[in-house]
Amino acid sequence: MFNEKSTAESLKATRTYGQVRCPNPTCLDRLTPKPQEKTIRCPKCGTEWRVVWLKPDLPRIRGPVWETNIEIARKKLEEIEKKGG
Amino acid sequence: MALSRRIAYIDLSTGKIETKPIPVEMRKKFLGGRGLDAYLLYNHSEKGVDPFSPENPLIVSAGLLVGTLASATSRTHVMAKSPLTGLLGSCNMGGFFAPELRWAGFDHLVIKGKADKPVYIYIHNGEIEIRDAKNLWGKSVTEAQRAVREELGDPDVKCLVCGPAGEKLVRFANVMTGVKNAGGRTGMGAVMGSKKLKLIAVRGTMDIKIAYPKEALEFNKRFIEQITTAKVNQTMSILGTPFIWGATNSWGGIRVNNFQYNQLLYADDVEPERFHEIANETFGKYHMAGCFACQVHCRTRYRIPDGPYKGCYDEGPEYTTQGAFASEVGCTSALTVLTGNYLCNQYGVDWLELGSLIAWAMELYEKGILTSKDTGGIDLRFGNDEAVIEMVKHVCERDTYLGDVLAEGGLRAAEIIGKDSIKYLIHVKGMQNLHSDERPTPALALNVATASRGSDHLRSRPAIDLYHLPEAVLRKIYSSPIPYEGPLSSDFREYVGKAWQVFWQEQCYMAVDSLGICKYHTTFLGATLPNFEDWVKAIYFNTGLEFTPQELWTIAERCNNMERLFNLREGLTPDDPYKGDRLVDRYHDEPAKRGAPDVVGSYIDREKFLKMREEFYRYHGWDEKTGVPTEETLKRLGIENEPSHLL
Repeated sequence: MFNEKSTAESLKATRTYGQVRCPNPTCLDRLTPKPQEKTIRCPKCGTEWRVVWLKPDLPRIRGPVWETNIEIARKKLEEIEKKGG
Repeated sequence: MALSRRIAYIDLSTGKIETKPIPVEMRKKFLGGRGLDAYLLYNHSEKGVDPFSPENPLIVSAGLLVGTLASATSRTHVMAKSPLTGLLGSCNMGGFFAPELRWAGFDHLVIKGKADKPVYIYIHNGEIEIRDAKNLWGKSVTEAQRAVREELGDPDVKCLVCGPAGEKLVRFANVMTGVKNAGGRTGMGAVMGSKKLKLIAVRGTMDIKIAYPKEALEFNKRFIEQITTAKVNQTMSILGTPFIWGATNSWGGIRVNNFQYNQLLYADDVEPERFHEIANETFGKYHMAGCFACQVHCRTRYRIPDGPYKGCYDEGPEYTTQGAFASEVGCTSALTVLTGNYLCNQYGVDWLELGSLIAWAMELYEKGILTSKDTGGIDLRFGNDEAVIEMVKHVCERDTYLGDVLAEGGLRAAEIIGKDSIKYLIHVKGMQNLHSDERPTPALALNVATASRGSDHLRSRPAIDLYHLPEAVLRKIYSSPIPYEGPLSSDFREYVGKAWQVFWQEQCYMAVDSLGICKYHTTFLGATLPNFEDWVKAIYFNTGLEFTPQELWTIAERCNNMERLFNLREGLTPDDPYKGDRLVDRYHDEPAKRGAPDVVGSYIDREKFLKMREEFYRYHGWDEKTGVPTEETLKRLGIENEPSHLL
């Protein structure tokens, strides 16, 4: 038992470096920003994100590109309210 | 050996001190740390005990693996009945106190009684003294620690301290160690203050004999590799925990203006990268520090860059500080977050509770329920940075009407303020919610509703639910060490399968809290970090105790049930608006308005939530309606005869 890999250790192979996920819940695809790229747009839902590079292989989404994503959220809310949701 | 540390019973009323060994059988049932504390609290307190009375025991402990050759084993745990909620009081902190306590010969302290004047306890190599603390009373968290080190002539003394907020019985005062290692939530610092106990100082040089030292070190190499290669920990070692707030605010999972919104817009100045810049500028490139035996180093060191506290040294902020002094109160200034952080650390108060209460008061002020007469002329509108900082001081000093009222905690304050104020209080079991907005995330909503110490993210939160992990990966994690063949979903908006995830995390966090390991080294923020299978190896090599992962799970279940028994004894019923496993109406009635497109419109469906809660009770072996453990469950866990008074 002591030499066997644990479940957590075996899952290490699933780690993905150099990629981030679109934070919108239904966009399961990973996004791969180009090296040092500062923003990235999700091809699936159209949201746009600011990217920072903590290390050359460690990008991180810093936050939304505010103008783009606020507008998307505004339209979505309008749709919901029209439907009486 | 690692199991030779003793338990001490200290009566501050009589000055009587007694120590005993901890039987191995008790270790096998409750490990140590939070788990054994839960047993001790249930056994050493009477039903209905007043949290500020001498009879409320204050229990301080180190986890089973603390101070050994296992990584990140720094955690101190403190437990008592909470003066904030009237239910379980419990807090857990990193730093260096717990290892020093073990090296001084002790694992658990049960402190009862009340001193007639301020005292501190000094523990050193098996000896315990109660000393006069008149020179320490009134001092801030860091001043008190400096003063006692000077008095004892030993700069390596480690301290557990209550700040001025605890002395003034602010019901959500922290227990603190170091500069910012905080035992926050549920007001354990106020219990210390009620006993006139300013501080516990420890110093030890007693070796801990490791059962299999070579193997323990070899295994720990694997552990370290697993920890340091995880993306989440690499991120945390650069940005600290503020990255969590940043990530959550990105998609709209943050409470803003006391839960009226769910995303702080144009928040660039309070994003984690900004704090990183400030720390670089004011402290230097190597500004990250770690707790005992940790490789992550998530603690930022900085000096306040501007304002009345310019140049003051502090550590943090944490993601919860950003919630408290940015999003919840509608402020977007890094300086407000850093100043609030500094003041809370010095006063020794829970910023998460305090920020939420100030945000609540702001909404009451904007709605006209509180007036400028109540606020003492403070313009308590959202986004008023100065007002936030003023209120932090007034609550901790209890020197104005509103400051004094808020220091009583949300439920008591709502009773005093009256009108419709309770309607806007965002709490579970009388404890304010974390800054996160759980409307888009049913699993996280179930977690806060059912957590044993009130609304809380560190008891059962499946944070990895937010990572959209493939179902196959979720299945691997959540079907070990106990088989699970039910549904699991990668979509964090789903309800199915989430009750099991919350149940699993609850056992995971109880195990890690009882071992004394930091949550950043387990399946909390990282899906690939160690848990049950890894811990049994660390336990064996360090202590010689042999458990299977399944046995470790059962121990965690037993300890969680001890906490449940305590809460039930003190009045918890599932649907009680003040003490229940429930959410306030805003979760159900007001959909989220901001954030990522799939988050806009989210709310928690009442019926689905109740179904999820029943499922959660069922996994525990509790009655689905009453949430009470069945006789069969108590027998299975060997706690059918509690209180048993064995220790």
